[in-house]
Amino acid sequence: MTNRKTVEMWVGVFVVIGLAALVWLAFRVGNLTTTDVANGYHVEARFENIGSLKVRSAVTLAGVRIGRVVQINTDPDSFQAVVTMNIDGRYKNLPTDTSASILTAGLLGEQYIGLEPGGAEEYLKEGSRIKLTQPAMVLEKLIGRVLTMFIDKPADNGKKK
Amino acid sequence: MSVLQNAAPMNRNNNGNLVDIRDVSFKYSTRTILDNLTLSIPRGKVTAIMGGSGCGKTSLLNLIGGRLRPSQGQVLVDGLNVPDLNIKELYELRKRMGMLFQHGALLTDLSVFENVAFPIREHTRLPEAVLRNVVLMKLQTVGLRGARDLMPWELSGGMARRVALARAIVLEPMMIMYDEPFTGLDPISMGVIAKLIRELNQVLGITSIVVSHDVAEASLISDYAYLLGDGRILGQGTPTELQQSTSPHVRQFMDGLPDGPVPYTYPARNYLDDLLEKGA
Amino acid sequence: MKFLENIGAGVLQSVERLGRAAFFLSEVVGHGWVLVTRFWLVVQQLYSVGVFTLPIVLVSGLFVGMVLGLQLYNTLVKFGAAESLGLVLALSLLRELGPVVTALLFAGRAGSALTAEIGLMKATEQLAGMEMMAVNPVMRVIAPRFLAGVIAMPLLAALFSAIGIFGGQMIGVGLLGVDSGAFWSQMQNGVDFHEDIMNGVIKSVVFGVVVTGIAVFEGYDAVPNSEGVARATNHTVVYSSLAVLGLDFIMTSLMLGEI
Repeated sequence: MTNRKTVEMWVGVFVVIGLAALVWLAFRVGNLTTTDVANGYHVEARFENIGSLKVRSAVTLAGVRIGRVVQINTDPDSFQAVVTMNIDGRYKNLPTDTSASILTAGLLGEQYIGLEPGGAEEYLKEGSRIKLTQPAMVLEKLIGRVLTMFIDKPADNGKKK
Repeated sequence: MSVLQNAAPMNRNNNGNLVDIRDVSFKYSTRTILDNLTLSIPRGKVTAIMGGSGCGKTSLLNLIGGRLRPSQGQVLVDGLNVPDLNIKELYELRKRMGMLFQHGALLTDLSVFENVAFPIREHTRLPEAVLRNVVLMKLQTVGLRGARDLMPWELSGGMARRVALARAIVLEPMMIMYDEPFTGLDPISMGVIAKLIRELNQVLGITSIVVSHDVAEASLISDYAYLLGDGRILGQGTPTELQQSTSPHVRQFMDGLPDGPVPYTYPARNYLDDLLEKGA
Repeated sequence: MKFLENIGAGVLQSVERLGRAAFFLSEVVGHGWVLVTRFWLVVQQLYSVGVFTLPIVLVSGLFVGMVLGLQLYNTLVKFGAAESLGLVLALSLLRELGPVVTALLFAGRAGSALTAEIGLMKATEQLAGMEMMAVNPVMRVIAPRFLAGVIAMPLLAALFSAIGIFGGQMIGVGLLGVDSGAFWSQMQNGVDFHEDIMNGVIKSVVFGVVVTGIAVFEGYDAVPNSEGVARATNHTVVYSSLAVLGLDFIMTSLMLGEI
């Protein structure tokens, strides 16, 4: 059996670098920030269509991530999607007429919520509801709209597709 | 002199025997190894258990040590019936028994010193200085105090067994079981082991059970001997009595006769029939 | 007819073995408190199980990372998505290759060594000797080794992933010209702590339990001669590798929530 001191040292080294690797992965490779665990407040928004928005999707302001989606439900009465998001406590001065839109990162990327501040004097707080929302762009509807554009126009020239 | 209070047996039974085997039967799957066996090991003496291979001598040691359960009968050690003990009680009993395995069974990752110190470290809280002295004294008893820093693979067979013996006596048990202590040793080493077994018994009063098929050595050191075969006792007595026995089983074993009650020929069909079958 | 009898006997034997293994492992886990009471034993085992597996894990991680860098770049560049190299590399390693490859390497190196060691201790009567000295071999020999394996696995997997990312970066950014900023920023934005890193850690812990559990049981259950030990070592490597791959599929489907 090797010397006790050697064993202790190498095991210590092993555990330390193993934990260091975990920490490095968590903070430098992943997107864990120290404030993630800190205090935030919950805000609700309702959408006609949330597309592929998921729990844990990002909530951004001017492109910067300030929160996450924590819950997605449906309202059985209005048939709308009810999205609850957690906003970082540092951003306390979002006006109550802030709008929330579901945007796509890149062309085919994941979807996230983009907030655009309004100009009201009161601010969103825990439990507030964002009233102005824009649903996700559904690709099929977009294509459908483009096609109907083409179909409507040639009606003037008598040419049909 | 006993720093470790294990030596004195509790004297629960008063018939002078440390171990009593009563009507014990033991089966291994379908084979009966021991059949209604009754024997006793008197306190403070060296008792030999002899017999051919597979006669159940080692199973007997394992029954006494609680590693095997008999299908019937009682295995009494210092008044306690071993199969009835729960795990805690069994472990407590084992602390008072020493066992020497055939090849020593030393822990290969520990030095000689650490091997002997093992039971002390596991079961007591002796301060390091006291522990060191106890270990050195036991090693001195077996004549290997200078080998304390060697590793088990550096030892010869005989030396390994002596270290194992030192380890077996380190907690000063009331009895020691020796499983084939002479097998595979050169005459000098055999002499050393025999001397140690005898001395430990005489000087420390440790009851010794020696399982062996070496008739000569066992006869030299034991006070009483049993000859086992076919799951029962074929003969018993002092070594002198056994030497003079007229029973054919005992004679075949003691004299080393190739044929007798234990046949030379393994059971087979008629020789001529067998040959003719293969022919033409 | 005999053929069917043999299959039946084989199945019954396997089931009986599985039962023995379950009982044994519950006894081992029941001795988990040796982590506190015999800490030094666990540390010693961490040394032989963890520290000795470290070199092969680091070297393999580096090479896997570098190969991934090459392969992924080769495909991503066709979609104009070469800048996502960092992200895809990190996800592949953290979610799958880190835990799984490390577990397979661990089974081959540490698992087989554990089985051989324990099997040999059984064959040379060291375990029996311990029992007769009133020391429970499960407590003294098996439990520390089991705990060491469970602790070492996630650490090794993390190191594998970390050095793999580094290797991939060396190839992607250093050799193939992917923009360093894009490499890291896409990675940081796309790798989620809970879904990717934690799930990877959970997987590696589960693999640690499975591989070490199999290794330790096979050693303890081995037939006590040289052929028996060799066979047990073989079992360890084969069964734990299969178990790791099978469990990986099950855990991945649970984690991705697709099934």
